[in-house]
Amino acid sequence: MPIVTALYLLYLAAPIALLAIGSVGQSWTNSLLPSGLTAGWYGQLWSDASFRRAFTVSLTVCAATCAVTALIGVPLAYAIYGASRRGVRAAARVLFLLPVAAPPLVLGFGFILVFSSDSLPFLGSGWLLVAGHVVSTLPYLMQALVADMRHLDLVTLETAAESLGAGFRQRLFGIVIPSLRQSLSSGLIMVAALSIGEFQLSNLIAGFLSRPYPVVLLQAFYGATGFACAGTMLLLLLAVLSALASASAGRGLPSRKGTPS
Amino acid sequence: MSVVVDSLAFRYPAAGAGLDGVSLDVAPGEFCAVIGPSGCGKSTLLKLIAGFLSPAAGRIRIAGTDMTGVPPRLRNLGIVFQNYALFPHMTALENVAYPLKLRGVGRAERLSRAGQALERTRLSGLADRYPRQLSGGQQQRVALARALVFAPGALLLDEPLSALDAAHRAAMRDEIRAVQREHGIATLHVTHDQEEALSIADKVAVMRDGALLQLASPQELYDRPADRFVAGFVGHANLFDGTVRGPDLVETAIGPLACATGGLPAGTAVTLLARPEAVRTDPPDGTVNCFTGTLVRDRFLGSLRRYDLAVPGGTILGETLSRGDIRSVQIPPGCLRILPA
Repeated sequence: MPIVTALYLLYLAAPIALLAIGSVGQSWTNSLLPSGLTAGWYGQLWSDASFRRAFTVSLTVCAATCAVTALIGVPLAYAIYGASRRGVRAAARVLFLLPVAAPPLVLGFGFILVFSSDSLPFLGSGWLLVAGHVVSTLPYLMQALVADMRHLDLVTLETAAESLGAGFRQRLFGIVIPSLRQSLSSGLIMVAALSIGEFQLSNLIAGFLSRPYPVVLLQAFYGATGFACAGTMLLLLLAVLSALASASAGRGLPSRKGTPS
Repeated sequence: MSVVVDSLAFRYPAAGAGLDGVSLDVAPGEFCAVIGPSGCGKSTLLKLIAGFLSPAAGRIRIAGTDMTGVPPRLRNLGIVFQNYALFPHMTALENVAYPLKLRGVGRAERLSRAGQALERTRLSGLADRYPRQLSGGQQQRVALARALVFAPGALLLDEPLSALDAAHRAAMRDEIRAVQREHGIATLHVTHDQEEALSIADKVAVMRDGALLQLASPQELYDRPADRFVAGFVGHANLFDGTVRGPDLVETAIGPLACATGGLPAGTAVTLLARPEAVRTDPPDGTVNCFTGTLVRDRFLGSLRRYDLAVPGGTILGETLSRGDIRSVQIPPGCLRILPA
């Protein structure tokens, strides 16, 4: 068992390690490992305006996606969790899981059809990109939230708070949201990671000036290997940073270990 | 402050089950337990009093005020839930202080009062712990402190001991009773455990199929049950179906039994109740209501021994301190009670 685990971890880590090595290798053509050592590829990446812009777009879209999914996800998950009829709960689950089941290409073509018309000419805008990312990442946050609500038996917690004298707002901000802090935090990490790495949908609906990092990164693979490796390493760094930022944003919600209130 | 329930009725739309005209009152400082089998309506009664369900008919008065239709948050009731419902993101102290915060009590005062409440439940050393860091019994005590800290009009307990193991349950039972007495608060305790109800309550309400069958003190409930169901549900019982054959004589499947029939005419169908502890072992020859049989079950329970003696026509359940062989038993006529068939 430990050997299988070790081999699996090696299998996972090997491409990342090769990318890291390749990003500082001077030349890498028809050999197992690159030759020479350089930080020049990172320098080139930084000096490229389109990459810098894509980097900013990705961070902005990721932050906006996290904010919108959190705003929509909490009440939606609560409505699904609280729905008294089994049929309503099942229908809601199918609806919010649909974007996971449908290929991003289908979603992308749907966006193109709807938002390239004269009445809705939003194709290529940054906000449409955010909307696309919200649709494709919301199910993951919802899953985490609904599971946590069930685990916590949130209805009983709310009932208890109500019996103690809490009104709706006091229950929402004093009990519901703080209780969901951990699942909201872990769900947003997933949303951030997915948003940063999203390529298929973004490639179809992003405008020239709103292209996120993965879409621009594709160009790098037509050039030098070292440049592509450095670009990919930066994407990895971007995903980790976004996940950390969204996790810390989640922790910033009303305190779970605060001072006595 | 008291709880008075008058002709309360409720029906679940889908299941059809509910409550049919239940009336009961719990006086200030009184502890009333509600027992009954699953689905009898005891939890529904508690939810109606708490305001989580709205009755189809009837009134609910808490501390003299009609609370029918008043939202739960305005009923001023302390409730301890089955799973305690402690807020996971708050410490024990924060949990207890929460109802005071909702009532606008200043921070220093509410922390002081919450600390005192925890002290009364012997938890002052665990004030900074989160619910997940507390044992079931400790969580139970925090829930009790939280339910009482704001001096509620009445206390509702929804099977609060069911999640505890047997050893802790008995200790917590006494503790709940002591705290309730200290606060002198009207308390309604819903439980499926009849032993718990008999040991803790001033009076016990027995429910079945949405109806209140009997409301009486534990002793009265045990000694003078209203009907066959109550007799069988509260404690162990020998129940013999029979017919009155003459003055002080009832014919049953195990044979004729001498007992006070209270002037019932011959031919009346009745049920005879004999508690197992009243059954005497190895009686002298010639005594009435004697039966000889074979011991088919024998359970050693430490302080007593419970046995089943198979006799022609049925089985007699008895309890004794004797360790010897049991061949014959007597059901003293004075220990037999006639119930409606």
